[in-house]
Amino acid sequence: MVTVKQVEDDNLVSKGAIPEQLKCPQFCFQDIRIPLYRFSSQSLLDDSPFEGHVCITEDEQSALDSLLLALWEDKMWKGVLRYDVTTSEIKVIFGKRKFIAQLNERLGMDYVPKPEPDKICGQGNLSEFQWTKHQEEFLFYVACGEMAISELIPSAAMPDGALLIIINEIPVEYGHVFLVPCGSDSLAQVLDTKSLEMVARFAVEINNCSFRLFYDCPTAGTSHRYFEACYFPSPLPVELTPVDTFFHEGQRGMRISAVTDFPIKTLLFESNKKFKRMVEVLVEICCQLQEKSIPYNLLISDSGKKIFLFLQMQNMANSGTLSAWECGGYFLFQSRSEFDQATEETMLNKLRDVSLDDEGFQVVKELCCSIADKFVA
Amino acid sequence: MESQLNFNIENSFDSRYSFCARQELDELPYSFTITDPTICGHPIVFASKGFLKVFGYSKDEVVGKNGRVFQGPKTDRKSVMEIREAIREERSMQINLLNYRKDGTPFWMLFHLSPVFSKEDGRVIHFVGVQVPISPPRRPRWSASGVVRNGANMCEEGDRVCGNTNIMFGSCRREVCSDTPVELSRVLGLLASESVLDDSSRGLGIEETCEASNLEKQKAEVAINKIFSVLTRHSELTGRFVCAERHSLPGAGILSSALNISLGRIKQSFVLTDPHLPDMPIVYASDAFLRLTGYAKDEVLERNCRFLSGADTDFSTLYQIKESIQTEQACTVRILNYRKDKSSFWNYLHISPVRNASGKVAYFVGVQIEEGCKNQDRNGLCPEMRHRSVVGAVKVAVRSLSMGAGPSRS
Repeated sequence: MVTVKQVEDDNLVSKGAIPEQLKCPQFCFQDIRIPLYRFSSQSLLDDSPFEGHVCITEDEQSALDSLLLALWEDKMWKGVLRYDVTTSEIKVIFGKRKFIAQLNERLGMDYVPKPEPDKICGQGNLSEFQWTKHQEEFLFYVACGEMAISELIPSAAMPDGALLIIINEIPVEYGHVFLVPCGSDSLAQVLDTKSLEMVARFAVEINNCSFRLFYDCPTAGTSHRYFEACYFPSPLPVELTPVDTFFHEGQRGMRISAVTDFPIKTLLFESNKKFKRMVEVLVEICCQLQEKSIPYNLLISDSGKKIFLFLQMQNMANSGTLSAWECGGYFLFQSRSEFDQATEETMLNKLRDVSLDDEGFQVVKELCCSIADKFVA
Repeated sequence: MESQLNFNIENSFDSRYSFCARQELDELPYSFTITDPTICGHPIVFASKGFLKVFGYSKDEVVGKNGRVFQGPKTDRKSVMEIREAIREERSMQINLLNYRKDGTPFWMLFHLSPVFSKEDGRVIHFVGVQVPISPPRRPRWSASGVVRNGANMCEEGDRVCGNTNIMFGSCRREVCSDTPVELSRVLGLLASESVLDDSSRGLGIEETCEASNLEKQKAEVAINKIFSVLTRHSELTGRFVCAERHSLPGAGILSSALNISLGRIKQSFVLTDPHLPDMPIVYASDAFLRLTGYAKDEVLERNCRFLSGADTDFSTLYQIKESIQTEQACTVRILNYRKDKSSFWNYLHISPVRNASGKVAYFVGVQIEEGCKNQDRNGLCPEMRHRSVVGAVKVAVRSLSMGAGPSRS
């Protein structure tokens, strides 16, 4: 359930949001008033198990899900998107892995769309012109709230520490958005606990099993920090692959598992309880991976219950790193012939080529155990 | 509304197999449920006596609920997902699953899921789920004789012991009571409350997967066959034949179970129409649509939406709708519609094409909002946004259709 504040209440909200505190340089959000979704004060990330959360019923679309879909579809109807992604053909590639292929001839020159948030919250200089251009891509803010239940405020300025949800005008799938943490440390180059917690909570609250969140670690020389999300028509192959658990914290605590027999080295993090701690552990692991120059990606699925960590090879000479959905087994093709000829073997090789090696994987697993032990102790 | 739902649930079973089938199914010594994926929330429409006994619920506490209420914090999410996938693909599957009884105690069972098909049009009518409790791995101190002594009903084969559920639990309890807490919890986690074991059993608890033996797998097969034999026999009495194998491909205009389940989560008034069928009939109508218009589901399915129009409906608006459908464009209109009881209302209607995995238009979705209706959307969205939100959710649900899945993972 969600309460709805009428527009008159907006002032109450904006008091909490002091533009000077927004450390997105060269960019002032104060005049951008868009809907604000505030999480309830009940934190499902502390100690409470997922099941006990009052807002979550699986039989019904959640308020956050309705909001995101409504705003996204609205932008599509208004022509903000470059194309209708639902006209792109998708298929399951023949084989036991069930890799998924999409034919998207309008994706443009970039295999993976270059995200715009670089310019928004990064260090780029944004002119007034671009600012107005981007405004129509803004969907809504998400922030923490103090109410007992989540609420939607139809129009508000950005509160500190909010996530800004921006539409991707060149979507990879339906509902493709960027989630940009905006606030005091939004320029940090590494993943931080607060942001990961916010997006994980977003996944929990949206409560739609088709919805998936992604994070690609920044490649050397770039500075960006944002997440991506979209609705996928079916589970990604990695989600259907067996795992081997090697770290276990009690009966209900954090579990870290290695995904077995998958072409790219992958770890799975799950926790029924003490979710916050798992996020802290994961962030610490990601920071160390970045220090070791091991490229990684995150995939949050199953309404926030599962977080996959893909481990790629450092400094690939010729090819770039793969995006999180590619690691998960979802591939985009720009030409009909490539799409038609895609085989499981090519996809396997594509993933194997960028994967961390066995030796490196062992080191990462040990690293995970030692970090997890440290937090558990 | 509540009574309508209850009626749907009872009717789902009785209209297909007749009331007498209930009694016959209850005489079977198995734990199983029958669910209906075409009703919102994919509820249980029948639960066997054996099931109620094993899980400790009364019939009324279970019928109408979704099977996931028996899952708990330690139920493996991946297994749950595999079940969801099997439902999506409308196929049989067996999996080891941790379920919870009413009193909160978890136990391992072999879950066998099988779709029930309509012989006539090949669509999935129900799913049968059989639960065979898995007996714990044999430990050296459990001599076979020790177990057998507890129950005459128990059968023994290979290296595993199984039998009537209740007796099995009883026997475990007795055999294990002298074990250490660690081993105790390892057995089934049934005996002591979780809090007692939480720390001492770290890593060894109930989450350790219990594998079903071949015997248990066979048992599940036998149960499924017996259940199907009752169901098919009784479906002959009602003339609405069912079968365990799909004899014909689902006919035109029939939605998959997965799509029915996804659409059931959308609580607003909307219909899906199939433009590939003659006269573009309704193939899905939400419960809210039925409430709004006063019709029953079978009074609207397979009919063209024009029954909503009446004497004072504006022809130019109807023309506008027709045109947008022909050009595969979305449109929003205000149209005078009529309920079953002939009363009229202004319908703020949005129509949009919806595409499947091939990128082609599979359906049109029509979202109805009664104008001047005071009940504001509980999510606080304005009427336009409510339209969009339904269209978005339907697009996501339909996008996976006809993805042409390759051979299933084997």
